[in-house]
Amino acid sequence: MNQLANPQHGLSSHSDYIAIIENLANQANEAGYPTLYDVSLIIVGALHELSQKGDTVALNSDLPSLLNRWSTLIDAYQQNAPSAVDGIMTVLCHPDLNLPLDEDDFSVFATLLTEELAANNISQHPETTTLNEVVPLQAVDAPSSELANEAETEIADEDEKPLSAMAQELVELLDTETSLLNYRFLAIPFDDSLLEKEEHLELASEELERLINASKMVGFDGLSQVCTHVNTNISLFLQATDSFNIEKRDLLIDWISHVKDYLLAFSKKGAGKQLLAQMANPNWAQPITAEAIALLHPQMQVTGFSEDTAAEEVHEKLATDDDVSLALPDDVNKELLDLLLQELPSYTQQFSEAIQRLHTGGSSKDIDVAQRIAHTIKGSGNTVGIKGVAVLTHQIEDILMACAKAHKLPGAALINTLINASDCLEAMCESLLGFGEPPADARAVLQEVLDWAYRIAKNGIEEANSQDVPVKLEAAAKSSTDDSAAQPQKNTKTEQAESTQVAMVRVPTDQIENLFRLSSESIILNGQIYERQRRLKNQLQAMESQFTLLQQLGAGLDQLIDLKDLSGRSLVTASKEFDALEMDQYNELHTASRRMVEAAVDAREISIDMKKELEYMNEVLEYQQRLVINTQEAVMQTRFVPVGSIILRLQRGLRQTCRLTGKQGELTFSGERLLIDGDTLSALVEPLMHLLRNAIDHGLEGQEERIALGKSPVGQITIDFDREGNSILVRCRDDGRGLDFEAIRQTAKKRGDFQAGDVISEEELKHLILRPNFSTRNQLTQTSGRGVGMDVVNFQVLSLGGSLSLQSVRGQGLTVELKIPLPLSRSHALIAYAASYKVAISSKGLTQVIYSGIGELTTISNEQVLIVGEDIYPVVKLEDLLHLVDRRKERRSHSAVLLVQNEHKITAVLVNTIIDSREVVIKNLGYYMKKIHGFVGATILGDGSVTPVLDIPELLRAPIRANVTTQTTVAERIDSGSNLPKILIVDDSLSQRRALQQILTDAGFRVQTVRDGIEAVEWLANSKPDIVITDLEMPRMNGIELASHIRSHVNIRDLPIIMVTSRSTQKHRQLAEEAGIDFYLIKPVQDDDLLSKIQTLLDRKSTAAAV
Amino acid sequence: MDVQHLETAEQQDTDWLSPTAALTQFLPLETEVSTDNLIAHTETVFGFRVGSLGFLVNSDTYCEVIEQLKVNPLPNVEPWFGGLLNLRGNLVPVIDLQLLLGETSTIDRKTRQLFAIGQGDKAMAFWIDGLPEVQRAFSQPLKQLPPLPAILQHCVSNSYLHEGQIWFNVQFDELFKTLGNRGSGL
Repeated sequence: MNQLANPQHGLSSHSDYIAIIENLANQANEAGYPTLYDVSLIIVGALHELSQKGDTVALNSDLPSLLNRWSTLIDAYQQNAPSAVDGIMTVLCHPDLNLPLDEDDFSVFATLLTEELAANNISQHPETTTLNEVVPLQAVDAPSSELANEAETEIADEDEKPLSAMAQELVELLDTETSLLNYRFLAIPFDDSLLEKEEHLELASEELERLINASKMVGFDGLSQVCTHVNTNISLFLQATDSFNIEKRDLLIDWISHVKDYLLAFSKKGAGKQLLAQMANPNWAQPITAEAIALLHPQMQVTGFSEDTAAEEVHEKLATDDDVSLALPDDVNKELLDLLLQELPSYTQQFSEAIQRLHTGGSSKDIDVAQRIAHTIKGSGNTVGIKGVAVLTHQIEDILMACAKAHKLPGAALINTLINASDCLEAMCESLLGFGEPPADARAVLQEVLDWAYRIAKNGIEEANSQDVPVKLEAAAKSSTDDSAAQPQKNTKTEQAESTQVAMVRVPTDQIENLFRLSSESIILNGQIYERQRRLKNQLQAMESQFTLLQQLGAGLDQLIDLKDLSGRSLVTASKEFDALEMDQYNELHTASRRMVEAAVDAREISIDMKKELEYMNEVLEYQQRLVINTQEAVMQTRFVPVGSIILRLQRGLRQTCRLTGKQGELTFSGERLLIDGDTLSALVEPLMHLLRNAIDHGLEGQEERIALGKSPVGQITIDFDREGNSILVRCRDDGRGLDFEAIRQTAKKRGDFQAGDVISEEELKHLILRPNFSTRNQLTQTSGRGVGMDVVNFQVLSLGGSLSLQSVRGQGLTVELKIPLPLSRSHALIAYAASYKVAISSKGLTQVIYSGIGELTTISNEQVLIVGEDIYPVVKLEDLLHLVDRRKERRSHSAVLLVQNEHKITAVLVNTIIDSREVVIKNLGYYMKKIHGFVGATILGDGSVTPVLDIPELLRAPIRANVTTQTTVAERIDSGSNLPKILIVDDSLSQRRALQQILTDAGFRVQTVRDGIEAVEWLANSKPDIVITDLEMPRMNGIELASHIRSHVNIRDLPIIMVTSRSTQKHRQLAEEAGIDFYLIKPVQDDDLLSKIQTLLDRKSTAAAV
Repeated sequence: MDVQHLETAEQQDTDWLSPTAALTQFLPLETEVSTDNLIAHTETVFGFRVGSLGFLVNSDTYCEVIEQLKVNPLPNVEPWFGGLLNLRGNLVPVIDLQLLLGETSTIDRKTRQLFAIGQGDKAMAFWIDGLPEVQRAFSQPLKQLPPLPAILQHCVSNSYLHEGQIWFNVQFDELFKTLGNRGSGL
């Protein structure tokens, strides 16, 4: 076949191409590829036509190079590489061929080719393939170095084996990666923006990094080294972006096409020679040397993929911890991860089901299903970079593939292993979703799977399957009994997996809120029915006693009538035949009284039946109550999120502050799996972010100072999450310098917080730093010194109803402990009267209820105390806690005493009358009244009335708060919040608004967002921010118009404006400049860049104000 | 109006207008403009009185007069915080603006009405004098706001003089937030 083309000379005319393609087409037809034959003939026809017209293929067209690769493509096609279809279609669709076909025709050909490929994939027998000895094409305009020609000859001589499906797949993976890289290179822009060029080059470099890793993983060491070298070149290009021109980009594109070619023939002798030759091109920033080519060339040919060797290599393997690691790579793509986490539960479940079906019989269809799912999970696992999932599913897929190939169902022992593997996969999935620990037995399970894979590869599926069955059957029997014991556990596992799937359904928060509200309403309504039913029961009780009375009266009447009858007998004319004692004589009175007695008895019996009915109804109601409570809890669960979900954001905040301060810090967490209410968690982010910034800016020393102090150069900050009762406890600890009490004392003195002679304890000093605007720094920095300090954190924590405490050790660090109450939706409460108010006392902190008479109330040094046994408790009246006047007589004792735990102390609270004890639904006091001191919320009672639910520990903590101090505290608090610089974000894109809002809020600014210029103008009419950040293009009023509006209004004329837009041309810039924009930033904007611009503007503003 | 708006948009694509020209030519679509600050353009507004003060509520704001509902008083709160209403399962705070603003004029408590502004958990109710009245288009807002009680200073956007009564255009969202902060501080 070699005589058809002479590689030494290459091809230059249409007739050369026609001859070769025709020849290959005939071979293809013989080998059973009719579609390929047709396609080839169509191309031949087109080339004929071109030659008749006398056209030559333009030199600048890429058709010749495509035609040169035709033989390689056909070769790949016959080796079942799906990517070859694309290559063939590229030639077929080439505009230079002028084919009278439309899109539909092309797609029909593509489908036919793919189908043909698939059909041949099944029926093909490697031995019968005769088309491997293909004729290479070489045109004059293609690189014609000696190396290349030599390579082509050698390839032609090569008699190589077809690739295994696994190898094929791995190579496809690399091929996809190269295509991506090709797009990246093509996307490099060459307009005037260097920044964009740089960004694209960086992206390409990242992509290339992935190709390097992938080729290493697949075993293409030569390729990985080549790619590394190109990446070095890209880094060099990045250093001089100016000189990176279109030629250099084309060089990259040419290179990647060589890589693609190489991937089509990597196993042949001399593979990669052309690739290496291309890299010697002097246009590269660092061309490859001849020595390096000599060294690399032997590594380029990859032969380890013939079926047997690959199997040996892959299967003789010990499972390592790394192989089952569920750790996410550092540069994990969040979106891909989210997708994987969404899909994974349903995939693992489907996989388990398929394996389970195989366990109970099953068919080859189940093997296919399981294999397909394993393949999908493996792909996703590899893409995201979760090794544990990818390795396990890869091995499972191999095993299942072997089963499918041999048309053999797995034996009991293998099924057992597969069940274990599917359990392990489920556990991995749960762990990834944050619902549990990674499976402890993962390594053992993987080893088991690996062993099976090895045995199958070595002895074939049938032998492997039959070999261990007797031994394993025993084990299987044993494990099945174990299974039955572990069944409930496994069931709950599946249930959990199912519930996570349900949680994956996206539901608007409003809907959940509404469900929650409705479930609360049901509980309240249930309470009302309960109340009604109780009254009814009482009334029935009263009625019953009335009936009893009636019955008694009836009996009495009966007796009286009898007596009367006897005494008056003489008056009645008696019968002459019978004596009165011989025969009873009845009149109407008798009958009436008897009937009345009977009716009374009947009525009583009916009332007894009714009582029974009521009792039954009571049971139903109780059952319904439990049900609605469960419903509410289930709805509540949907609002729970793991604490770990805010970690990434905190880490980002840390990195940002570290960059700004030039310090080094490392953030670690514990308790991140804790599930808490989503709203509380979001509210926690801001104070935590402040704490982090404080810890780095004020706490951690500089690197040199740390080394001098004998500390590790990187500062350690830990955040621990813990749950304590109905509160979440967050501890933020740093190993920095701790609080400088002397500096605080000095600042406090300067501020006039106390007089020179006063003795101030460290405890009091700690409280001082929680006061608004308290900063010991004289210098303004971007992270602190603008009121972002403990005062803000304290304010935020207090507004969440929580508390903050500080523990500082000089030179060793500061620990800030936040205790935030979690929202209570229900509580057991005592209904009581406090003066004239009906109140519900929540069980929060309640340790005991003592009824009057137990214990002794006495006065010790003017303080009333309660002595119960050996315990003495301080006493306080509920009315005093609520500042109510108790109008009762002083002497009258209280009916109950509540022992309430507050922090570390138990106090006895005297309560007048407890009228009821019940489960109440706690409602908040509306959207605006977030929290009232001493109230957990309010509840609606059975009669529809509303009563406050008291938080006694909170009342005990601060019972006497004079109105004056309260007002100043409120003022101070509001003030401390409003001290932060305010930024107005104007953008029509919701995601952009959110992103900017998050960056700026995290950086300690108050942020207001609006959707366009009009909204901004409306908002600016009443408020004045410190800075405006606006988009350029927006509906209704754009950024330029907004800027003009601002600059033309006296009050806001000086407002600094930053424009953030995707428009990067000079024309837009100039327009913005003319409109009075201070800074023009191009999307995607870098956080640091934006923050430093804001700081510049704020500095400029404060300098102007000072002048 | 639509035509002009489109023309402006077209011109934006081809040739940018000068900022001033853009501002003068720009006409927002009527339906898209929030009426908060453009009360003069709206047809009707509701007005209610508390003592000597008159307050305006946009007709598109959800509000209702509440009858036959019991206000449940709360202990240990500011006197102006009248208590809570159970309005269709939502707890609505009741505010006595007269006490809050220190209005001294005596009014007949019997003629007071409960007037709730807002919906669901975002509602608040006020004791108002008599029933709210429908007010017709006011012409021009006053150039300067008259002296206001401190609590109202951030919440009033403009004011109008009509037949001797000063009417305040209140941003109720702001007012509710301020009241919430005050109430929560206790």
